[in-house]
Amino acid sequence: MSPKTPTSSRRRLTELLDGQFMARLDGLDIFSRKMLQGKLRGERRSKRRGDGIEFADHRPYVIGDDLRFVDWNIYGRLDQLFLKLFLQEQDLTLQVMVDVSASVSDGQPTKEMFLKRLAAAIAYVGVVNNNRVTISAFADGVVAQIANMRGRNYLHQMAEMLLGTDSAGPSDFEKACRQVAATRVGSGVMIVLSDFLFKAGYEGALRRLISEKYDLYVVQVLSPQELAPTFSGDLTLVDMEDDDRAEVTISSALLKYYKRNLAAYCNELKGFCTRRGAIYALTGSGEPVEALILNYMRRRGLLR
Amino acid sequence: MQWLTPTAGLIGAAVTIPALLLLYFLKLRRRQVAVSSTFLWKRAVQDLQVNAPFQRLRRNILLLLQMLALAAVLVAMGRPVLRLQEGPGQRYVLLIDRSASMNALDGQLTRLDLAQAGAREVVDSLRGQGAFDLGGQSDQAMVIAFDDRVKVMCNFTSDKEKLRSAVDAIEAGDGDSALVEAVQVARAYAQPPAEDANGRSAEPAAGLELFSDGQIHDLADVVVREGELRFHCIGESSDNVAIVAMAARRSYERPEEVTVFAALANYGPEPIDCDVQLSLDWNVLAVRKARLGPRTPAGAGSPGGPGSASVTFTMSHAGAGVIEVRQLRRDMLAADDAAWAVLPAPKRLKALLVSPGNLALSQALASCSLAGLDRLTPAQFDSAEPASLQDYDMIVLDRHAPAKLPRGRYLTFGPPPPDMGGQVQDAGEFIVDWSARHPVLEYVDLAKVFAAKHYKLTLDRTARVLAEFSDSPAIALVSKAGSTFVVVGFDVNESNWPFEPGFVMFCYNVANFLGGAAAGGDGAGSLKVHQAITVRGPQPNSQARLIGPGGARSELVADASGVFNYGQTNRVGVYSVSVGDRDRERFAVNLLDAGESDISPVREIELSGQPVQAVAAAPQRRNREVWPWLIAVAMALVCLEWVVYNSKVRI
Repeated sequence: MSPKTPTSSRRRLTELLDGQFMARLDGLDIFSRKMLQGKLRGERRSKRRGDGIEFADHRPYVIGDDLRFVDWNIYGRLDQLFLKLFLQEQDLTLQVMVDVSASVSDGQPTKEMFLKRLAAAIAYVGVVNNNRVTISAFADGVVAQIANMRGRNYLHQMAEMLLGTDSAGPSDFEKACRQVAATRVGSGVMIVLSDFLFKAGYEGALRRLISEKYDLYVVQVLSPQELAPTFSGDLTLVDMEDDDRAEVTISSALLKYYKRNLAAYCNELKGFCTRRGAIYALTGSGEPVEALILNYMRRRGLLR
Repeated sequence: MQWLTPTAGLIGAAVTIPALLLLYFLKLRRRQVAVSSTFLWKRAVQDLQVNAPFQRLRRNILLLLQMLALAAVLVAMGRPVLRLQEGPGQRYVLLIDRSASMNALDGQLTRLDLAQAGAREVVDSLRGQGAFDLGGQSDQAMVIAFDDRVKVMCNFTSDKEKLRSAVDAIEAGDGDSALVEAVQVARAYAQPPAEDANGRSAEPAAGLELFSDGQIHDLADVVVREGELRFHCIGESSDNVAIVAMAARRSYERPEEVTVFAALANYGPEPIDCDVQLSLDWNVLAVRKARLGPRTPAGAGSPGGPGSASVTFTMSHAGAGVIEVRQLRRDMLAADDAAWAVLPAPKRLKALLVSPGNLALSQALASCSLAGLDRLTPAQFDSAEPASLQDYDMIVLDRHAPAKLPRGRYLTFGPPPPDMGGQVQDAGEFIVDWSARHPVLEYVDLAKVFAAKHYKLTLDRTARVLAEFSDSPAIALVSKAGSTFVVVGFDVNESNWPFEPGFVMFCYNVANFLGGAAAGGDGAGSLKVHQAITVRGPQPNSQARLIGPGGARSELVADASGVFNYGQTNRVGVYSVSVGDRDRERFAVNLLDAGESDISPVREIELSGQPVQAVAAAPQRRNREVWPWLIAVAMALVCLEWVVYNSKVRI
């Protein structure tokens, strides 16, 4: 880390992640369930056999193979040519998509802060482990993006980008996904952080993100007020994004149906993800980010 | 079902129902709350509506409840009345007896209180009139209180408050009860507007509601149609011991000796021993025991009646005083437990005879044991100072009628005093009729009195004719301009009267009568209830102070002839009148009425041969207003609405 780092950036990073948390994140690394091929030789084992250090397997020699990898000990014992195969270590692309549409500014505590801290934490792990990290903030399409970060030097830039992007405007998840899917290269892990309250739906958008090359993680963040509303009386509910209005008279029956609908919606999302090999997690913005990262993400195999 | 104020209800409905609807829509102005996304909520609302088909109804149940509550209030404003009696508006006359017997205590309350309570119930049961009512369907009533006088407390009105206060304003009296006049007055007020010659009318006659104990002495003279009068019998007990007669007289020979006589009657069913107390000026002089038998019921051959006893006291008292006889047993009616007599100081009368010479008259007056008898000729009389004539208790004018007479008490023979006629009738006449019960003609027989010539008297209505010729009054008692005249319309010398024994008796009676009026003797000092107190004042418009029983004070003003009149002797007791620096004059007002002392209630009265049973039950309500229930329903609905609203809002 450069000693010339501006204190403001330093402070802004600590707004998202405190030192203790960062220290614990230092011990983690992003893990992909698939041994994926990287662009550069990274610190990661890939499925592609090659000139790594770690022995993987033998295979019969065919004409044209590099004689340097012939296992001469086998040849001496069996009089046959076998080639030694090594695991190649590769780098990993980590794509993080953070929702900064107007809807995430809701909640107490706000979903926005939770999402940004979560994104910062995941990106931090990726960056410090020399993975290629792209972080995209989206609302009506991608509104801010830092691509291909590698190394701690990017941390402050990332923090600045996250904190400098206010949540505003309508959301167009489909468009954002289209943009990200079009620009992403390589392979690795794709993490989408959002409340997934998209009126236009999320199915088509998520389909765009699913690919052979990327592990897809979907983290849905809802505020405690969304999970268990505390309204009462006759209300006009105003949508933050499109100013849509819904007149409701809060009653126990209505709240029952709301919760049932919410659960069904989340389950639907979870089912959609599970069926497509994506991993889904639901969390409330009132819960600590640390717990999600250190417990849940590790259990689900994203971090190790 | 009848509506007293349908207009009020309709006006209320026209105003409040749109207002409620408006308020209901205004109430839907909702609080705005920003949320991340509305689609889950919309979905929830949809689900709610889909899954609860009665949800819309439930949302409107508040409006429904409010409408019902409002409807209840509006219907209450219309004042529906459950009619328990059909027919158009009726009129009732509440006749409330306030005679002496109605003061009897039945428990803690007097009968008058009970009668007032009963009358109030009748008033409450009337079909009322509402504020906005256009139809004249309400009942009307008037209130009449009666004893032997009739007082209209309130004319026909449907204002129940007015009627109630009129009923409450009735004060107890100690008078006798007489219904005839009350019924006449009631009929006069209640006469329907359109009545034909036969007294038939399209409107029903007013119903008479009589509240009394049934002890009314003139029931036989009251004529009512069948069903016209409803009799509410008040009273339970008949336990009463009364003093029904009392007199105090001085012995003629020994004026300081006074004999007090009292008659007692027991109207209760038990024989009674009671103490009778005599007091003079409220100092107890003697107590006698008296034993009274029980009331004997009317049976075959005997009319029945109270057990009676009489008590006689003799005492010696030379001065004036008030004698009270009181029976000391506690009973239901207090007014007849005591009787009073005002005892004047013994006084001999002083008389003046103005005559050209009349031996018969002069001898007759001389035999009357007068204190003094002066004689003047008419010429001397005319020239005498009026002040010197004030001393005489009686002035006898024989064949002398001066144009102007000073104030005094006169006995005139021959030409009558001024303004009383005086045309000479030469035809000889016998006296054809006379009132033998008047004190002036007590023990006087005029059957054989013949006058050869008499003066035709023309008297005004206040004069009392004591004896009559066939064409003109023969003897009359006239009070005029503060003077009292006993006018004899013929010259005794031209009649055979001096040869009758009754003539001396007549002179004696007149001397006692006029002298008694002067001294306030037993006749003047003892009054019945409602008899007026009359006191001669020094001059017109002078002031006097009257103290009634119980210390009630009132100021009296003399009339133009200098006489104080006080007619409000409603209660028994001793009244005293003080005029200037003169000694106060006292008057005893006594009940002394066997009819009123008999307080046993009569359940069936007979009105001129037609029996009328007492109404058994309390007055039946003729209608029932249902608004209190409607208001209660409205309150319940409002509470229910509150509960429903809270259960809906509760999470």
